[in-house]
Amino acid sequence: MRAVVKNGIGVFHPQGFLDGTTAPALLTIEDVKATQSLNINMILLSLKKVVFFNKNGLDIFVKLLESLHERSGIIVGLCDYDEKKYASIQKFYSVDMNFSLFRTEKIASLFAPSMQESTQKKSILVWHEDPSQRSSLAIELFDRGHTPVMCQSESEFLQKKGQADLYEEIIFNTYLGQLGSKIATRVTGNAIIYTIADFLDAQIVRSFDMTYHTSSLNVGFTLFIFDAYKVVSMNVHGLNFFSKLSTAAAEFGANICIVGMSFQKTPANFKTELEDAGLIFFENMDDILKDKELLKELGGSGGATKNTKRALTKVLVNELPRFINATVNTMEMMTNSKAEKQEVKVDLLRIAQTKDKVASSIGFYGELNGLVILVFPITIAKKACELLLGEKTDNIEDILDTLAEFVNIIAGRVKSLLGEHNIRVDITLPRTYEHIEDLLSTVDARKGVQVNLGFENESFTFFLTR
Amino acid sequence: MIKHEDIQAYIHTIPPSPVVLKKVLDWLDKGELTKAASEAAEDGALKLYLQNIVNKPIYGFKNDIKAVGQIFGVLGLAQAEQIIYNYMISLLAPARWELFTLSTKEFSQIQDNLGVMWKRILEHKQIKEKEIYSAISLLPAAIIVCEALFKSKKEEVSLLRSAKEIDYNTILKRLSGMDLFDLCAQIAAAWEMPEIISTIVLCSKGTNEETNEDIVELSKWMHLLFFYQLSQPSAVEAGLNDFIAFNIDYVEDIYEEFQEVVIDECAQ
Repeated sequence: MRAVVKNGIGVFHPQGFLDGTTAPALLTIEDVKATQSLNINMILLSLKKVVFFNKNGLDIFVKLLESLHERSGIIVGLCDYDEKKYASIQKFYSVDMNFSLFRTEKIASLFAPSMQESTQKKSILVWHEDPSQRSSLAIELFDRGHTPVMCQSESEFLQKKGQADLYEEIIFNTYLGQLGSKIATRVTGNAIIYTIADFLDAQIVRSFDMTYHTSSLNVGFTLFIFDAYKVVSMNVHGLNFFSKLSTAAAEFGANICIVGMSFQKTPANFKTELEDAGLIFFENMDDILKDKELLKELGGSGGATKNTKRALTKVLVNELPRFINATVNTMEMMTNSKAEKQEVKVDLLRIAQTKDKVASSIGFYGELNGLVILVFPITIAKKACELLLGEKTDNIEDILDTLAEFVNIIAGRVKSLLGEHNIRVDITLPRTYEHIEDLLSTVDARKGVQVNLGFENESFTFFLTR
Repeated sequence: MIKHEDIQAYIHTIPPSPVVLKKVLDWLDKGELTKAASEAAEDGALKLYLQNIVNKPIYGFKNDIKAVGQIFGVLGLAQAEQIIYNYMISLLAPARWELFTLSTKEFSQIQDNLGVMWKRILEHKQIKEKEIYSAISLLPAAIIVCEALFKSKKEEVSLLRSAKEIDYNTILKRLSGMDLFDLCAQIAAAWEMPEIISTIVLCSKGTNEETNEDIVELSKWMHLLFFYQLSQPSAVEAGLNDFIAFNIDYVEDIYEEFQEVVIDECAQ
C-alpha cells in the first residue's frame, strides 16, 4: 500500500477489515521504506475506513511503525478514529504505548516537526484525563507556535467544547507517545521559526533537520529565526553549528536570528562571535514579527532581495523537455484538457498580467539543483483543484493548498523521470504565492527558461531556474 | 486523463451476450433446470467452467460432479443462474491484468467467494428471488471496467494518489461524470440482466439516493461484503483494497449482524 504524503507526513489509508491475516498484506516493510525515502518526518495509519480491527492486526502495523521510530526518530502513530476505536486501542496497549494517537489527521499535523502556520490563528483547546499527557500536549503545541488552552477538568472541557468556533482545533482522545527528536519547525508568512531548548551541544547537529533547512534556502526563504527562550546554555559545538549555518545562509543572502536567548550560563564572548559571523539577536519574537519594516529588511515579508545571480546549467537545460512534459501531462490529467506550447524563452521571469493569477514553486536538489515555478490564471487553478477537491471552490486557502499538492505531484513525476536517467534528486516542500509580486521578488534577477502554455484559451506559465 | 468519449468507446466494446448463455438463462428463468443444463452442456467452454467451479472446496460438495445436469441439480435455480452470470462477467475479464496484479484464477476466486457469501446473507435474510442472488455477479465487473479504463494511466493515477487520498471510482466520476458502478449498470443493460441487479449494485456504492428500503438494506450488505472481500490478503496484494472508497458510515448499522452471518460463519 502506498502512503499519501503531504507536508512531510505520510499516511496509510487501509480500508475494510484489519486482522492478523490481512494486515501483513496491507502494510509491508517495503511500503514503509518507500515512504521513509520521501523525507517524511511523521508516518500515520488512518483508521477512518477500517470497520474492524483486532490486536493481532494492529500489532503488525504498530511493530513496523515502532521499529521505524527507533531507527529514524520519525514520529509514528494512528489517526482518524472514533470514540469506540480509541477505547479499543487503549485497551490493547494500556501499558508501553510508544506510538501516538491523533483523533484526526489535522490534529496530527499540529504536532509535526515542520508545519505551516495558519493565517487565521486561533487558540487550541486541549483536554486529556491524565494531567501529564495534558501538559505534554500543551507544551508541544506551544513549542510549535500554537496557543493551547488547557482544561483542568472534564466539566471545564465540556463547557468550552460547546463554543467550538472560538478554537482552531479541539484536541481530545489524543495521546502523545514518543515524539521525534527533530527540532520543531514552523513557517509563518515568509519566515521559518525553529524552536530550540535546553543545552545546545553536539546533539543539535543530529536533531536539526539540515535537509529541510537547505531546501528552504533553495526555494527562497531568507529569514530563519531560532526561538531560544528555553535554551539554558550553549557549548562550543552549539557555537560551531550556528557559525556554519550562518556561512551557508550568507551564500543565499539569508538572515539568521536568535530570539530570547539568555547568556547567563553561556560564555558572553559566544554572543560576540556569533554576531561577527552574521547572526542577529533579539530579545522578543514580536521585535521581529510585529516590525514590518524590519521584517522586510530581513527578508521575511514576502520576497527576498538577493545579490547572488544563478545561471542555468547545461545539464538543467538538457533535462528541460522532461520537466515540461511532466508538467504538461500532469496539467492535462488534472484539468482533463489539452495543452498547447505557445512560447519558450530564456530570460528573467516575466508575467504580463499579475492580476487574478496565483503561483506555486518547488525546489529540487541533489545531482541536479533547480526550482520549478508554475504561474496559473485563477480559472485554471480552480479547474485543477476540482479533481482533487471534488467540487468547485473560491476559497483561496483551498486553492493554494491544492496547488501545493499539484506542484508536489509534478515534482514527484520529475523525480521519477530523472531517476530513470540515473539522476538522483530530492524535492523540497512546495511553496505557494497568492500574489505574483511576492513570487517575482523571490526570483528577482534569476534567469531561467520560461514556457508559456495554453489551456482552453488561458495562458499558463512554467519557469525553470536555479 | 479519461474523457466521456473514452467511456463511450468502452461501452461500445461490450459484446452482446452469447446466444447459448441467453438460452440457458431463459430456461433457468422458466424454472427448467434440465433444459437449461442440456443447453449449457452444448457449450464446451461453459461446461468446463461449471465443472471447475462447482468442484472447488468453497462450494463444499463431497463428490466430484461432472455432468452439467447434476451440477445444476445440486446448485439449484438461484445459484445456477448466479454462476452463469459469473461466467458472463468473466468473459469481459482481460487475459492479462495490468493495473491489478490478478490472474484469471484469482478473479474467479473473488467471484466465487462473493457468490457463496452473498448466498449465505440472502438465506439469513430469507430472500428467495433468484435475480437478487445474481446481483452479486455484476459487482466484480467494476474491477474489470477499472482495469480497462485505467491500465494505461497507472503511473498518472499513482502520482495523483501519492498526494491525495482518492480512489479510481472518484477520479472517474470527477473526470467524466460517470463512475465504475454506472458502467456496470451499462453492462447489465447491454446483457439484458434483470433491472433489480443493476439497481442493487448501483445502490451498493453507498452514495445512491435510492428510496426503496429493501434495496438500500441489501446494498449495505453488498457494500460491506465487497469490502470484506477486498480486505482479504489476495485482494490487497492485487491492489484492490482501495480502488473504490469504502463508506463506513453506510454500513455501521448492519456491521454486527454481518459479523455473525459472514465472519463468524467463515471462521467455523
